[in-house]
Amino acid sequence: MIQPEPSRQQGVTLPDSKREGLRAWLKIQVESESYQPPRSGVILLQVLVGLFFFIFVVRFWYLQVHRGEEFTLQAQRNHQREERIFAPRGRILDATGKVLADNRTAYGLSLVREDCHDVPATLAQISAWSGIALDRIQDKYRLDRVKMKAFEPLQLITDINFDLVARIESEVYAWPGLSIVVRTKRHYPEKDLFAHVLGYVAEANEKELSNDDALALGDLVGKQGLEFKLEKALRGHKGLYEVDVDAHSRILGKHLHTRPRGGQEIHLALDRDLQKAAWEALDGEAGCVVVMEADTGRLRALVTAPAYDNNLFAAGISQKDWNLLRNNKRFPLQNRVIQSIYPPGSVWKLVMAALFLENGVSPKATVFCGGQVKLGNQIFRCWRRGGHGHMDMEASLIHSCDVYYYIMAERLGIDKIEDFARACGFGKTTGIDLPHERSGLVPSREWKKRRFKTPWVRGDTYNTSIGQGYTLVTPVQMAVYVSALLNGGYLLKPQLLDDAAREERGRIPAQERTLLFLVEAMRKTASVGTAKVVGRKDADMGGKTGTAQVVKLRMTAGERRLTTAEVEYAQRDHAWIATWGIKNSKRYVVVVMVEHGGGGSSVAGPVAKKVYAHLFGPEPGDSKVLAGAVRHQTAVR
Amino acid sequence: MDTRLFSYLNWGLLACMLALYLVGIGNLYSASGTRLEEGMTFASYYQRQLVWGLIGLTGMLLAMYFDYRRLRNLAWPFFILTLILLLLVPLVGKTVYGAKRWLPLGFMSLQPSELAKLAVLILAARLLARSGNPLGWKEFGIVLAVGLAPAALIITQPDLGTTLLVLLILAGMILFHGIRGYVFKTCLLAVPCVGAFMWFVGMHDYQRQRVLTFLNPGDDPRGTGYHILQSRIAIGSGEIWGKGYGEGTQSQLRFLPERHSDFAVAVFGEEWGFVGCVALVTLFCLFLLSIFSTAVQAKDRFGSMLVVGVFFYFFWQIVINMGMVIGLMPVVGIPLPFISYGGSAMLVNFLLLGIVLNVSMRRFMFKS
Repeated sequence: MIQPEPSRQQGVTLPDSKREGLRAWLKIQVESESYQPPRSGVILLQVLVGLFFFIFVVRFWYLQVHRGEEFTLQAQRNHQREERIFAPRGRILDATGKVLADNRTAYGLSLVREDCHDVPATLAQISAWSGIALDRIQDKYRLDRVKMKAFEPLQLITDINFDLVARIESEVYAWPGLSIVVRTKRHYPEKDLFAHVLGYVAEANEKELSNDDALALGDLVGKQGLEFKLEKALRGHKGLYEVDVDAHSRILGKHLHTRPRGGQEIHLALDRDLQKAAWEALDGEAGCVVVMEADTGRLRALVTAPAYDNNLFAAGISQKDWNLLRNNKRFPLQNRVIQSIYPPGSVWKLVMAALFLENGVSPKATVFCGGQVKLGNQIFRCWRRGGHGHMDMEASLIHSCDVYYYIMAERLGIDKIEDFARACGFGKTTGIDLPHERSGLVPSREWKKRRFKTPWVRGDTYNTSIGQGYTLVTPVQMAVYVSALLNGGYLLKPQLLDDAAREERGRIPAQERTLLFLVEAMRKTASVGTAKVVGRKDADMGGKTGTAQVVKLRMTAGERRLTTAEVEYAQRDHAWIATWGIKNSKRYVVVVMVEHGGGGSSVAGPVAKKVYAHLFGPEPGDSKVLAGAVRHQTAVR
Repeated sequence: MDTRLFSYLNWGLLACMLALYLVGIGNLYSASGTRLEEGMTFASYYQRQLVWGLIGLTGMLLAMYFDYRRLRNLAWPFFILTLILLLLVPLVGKTVYGAKRWLPLGFMSLQPSELAKLAVLILAARLLARSGNPLGWKEFGIVLAVGLAPAALIITQPDLGTTLLVLLILAGMILFHGIRGYVFKTCLLAVPCVGAFMWFVGMHDYQRQRVLTFLNPGDDPRGTGYHILQSRIAIGSGEIWGKGYGEGTQSQLRFLPERHSDFAVAVFGEEWGFVGCVALVTLFCLFLLSIFSTAVQAKDRFGSMLVVGVFFYFFWQIVINMGMVIGLMPVVGIPLPFISYGGSAMLVNFLLLGIVLNVSMRRFMFKS
């Protein structure tokens, strides 16, 4: 752009007449004096060059040597990114191999902020596609953006259905930074049936993220049930890609750094079909069923009703669904087997009888039951208004006589009852592999003093002796106790996993013959007593019913006992039955508890019977089943 | 032309210049490379730079051919022509990136502000050559006016970099020539006032932002600070021995912005490390010192002042550009001589060095 000046060419093209004038003007002016450069100027230039050299070399030293490693790391981080490879979560199967929890493909949308030119418009577009309210997407974006680097994909919606994926896929190219990501989603094919046992997974929250380095935003972690308890085994280990990218996030190369390792597959001791049978036996009542192998502690069924569909949580439960579950008066979120504590009612007599035997009470000793006992001006009644007459220990169990226990318990006193109940595993958790198990309550003098500021009175002992009053137990504690009666007194940890080893957590402080006495009494109760309903000819059966009062005064002014249907639901009795059944040397314990169900034998008993019908097969001579079989044969023919 | 003249040539300067030219081409080759999914692609910057360098060398020979003392006569006409061209810019100029700096000439564009550097340099040399005495108020005023007139026109384009350069060259020449103590002290006092005036009136928002970002680049890592941070990462990650020629990840993966032009030296620093950078700084120092030696040896004040002007022309560009790249100066769009890509700058560099060689060749001639 700088052309040599035309005049520099010495005017070769100029006409002669003008030449002389130009010559004079172009004449080189010669300075008259001889020139010496100014000293100060010479020094100035030298100093400037010296300073330049010194300062710049020092600065390069500082950047390249002193802080070189730091910048090298930054340069590496610039162009090397890590991409996690998700490891599939381990499946959960029942004892027969039926799938209870597996993984499904889920499509989500994620946004790389760095590549996105117009975040608000993109978010609005996502809202338009998915139908999710814009402010919810904006909230999620605002909350999560601080946790992710600008070039990391930020997952905005997690589960879009396949049709929508197809539509978005055809338009997503117009939205830089936005991409469809394929993830897995937890799926529970049995829904409500195993909801409480399995629990559910959901996106890791703030606290979980900070406690566990292996977790990243958007990862699913177990929140409840076995998903929570077995998180470490189920999760597996993520793989890692090292990705080389350029400044425009263009991927130049991908190297597998770590192979992902899927989570462990878990086999449960539970049997899906038995679980289903127990669920159906409850027939919509609120309650629970525990089926346990008496010799190993393995749980074959663990049903609590009502339940919820845990898939709702896996997909990210909506506020509306959550509120519905939380405000439901029948508490579907509660795992009744381990989290609900109930007065044990007459089932408790199995504990009291063992205590009496161990304290020198002769099984032959009788008590006269006249239907009630007076204590001061208080009247303690037997459930049978007319009384049972003379009762020995076995008869008191078979007929569930209350008066026998009032009298015997008074002789021993509350302190012995408390110690014995604790030794039998009550008042503490069973150690089952589920979170939030409750320990129940074994009352004592100190406890009452602390709790009510009043001393323990004899009436309290009376109430305690028949499983009323303050004592509270969980159904699983009762199952563990009954199992111990059968297996020689060992209090076993209830095991959910198929390969779990038998684990003794304690022993009932009772002699062999005490246990045998109780087993025999239960056998008789199941054949001629209150638990007659579970008896069957083809198996050795035993049981004990309980009807736990929720409200003390059940009498109307006319001294007539109200029927269950006449009482408000929340005031109805809890129905218990604790049973065992032995067939082909397999020994099972089935405990059923129907909340506000009414009488133990009339409500809980038939449920247990149906469970045994599944365990041992239909009872021979059951006309209905026979008829069904005949019909079936006819149809085949 | 007298062939004896070549025996007086400043061969050291010629060697430094050619060395810098080749380093620049080599570096530009690496900076043009972009790593893609498979292999590399190269932009054609280095080829064009090579061609411009050859054109520049020709221009340099032309600039050596005539007696530099003739420039004294051309100083005023050239200066006035430049002013006219600068005045034309706002009227018929072309707008690129929001700045009006170019005059369309049909086949190419002319940037009159480039001419202004030369015009001011030559006219200032002529004015300063009149006397060896330190400048008093009157002389200082005249020389200053020569710089301020084009500077005022250039800054409205807006082009802060060139404006600064014109004024800094002038300041360097004045300081070399000598200035009376009271004038100097008054100027020292005036600088903060002028600075404040520039800050509040003369500067655009983006320029103010650049200065603020320079003071704290972490404030704005995605905007202006990005340049500073990425260039520091590039240079710093070179460590002692560098990543090796053509291996710079910052440049080839395009994290480094402006890697052909203003930030070319960051590519060099990344690939050659501290050792390479010290070598480059040393080369620049030798280059500047060989210009300086010509200024000292010149037989007349005009020649000496011309060479001092060229010295400052290069000195300020080197200091400002490299200072910017290594985070000692705010981001100002001034290229690094020979290293940054730029055809017209290359041509001007060689022309100016031609003048220096011209002066060095004729240092033993008394009369024409």
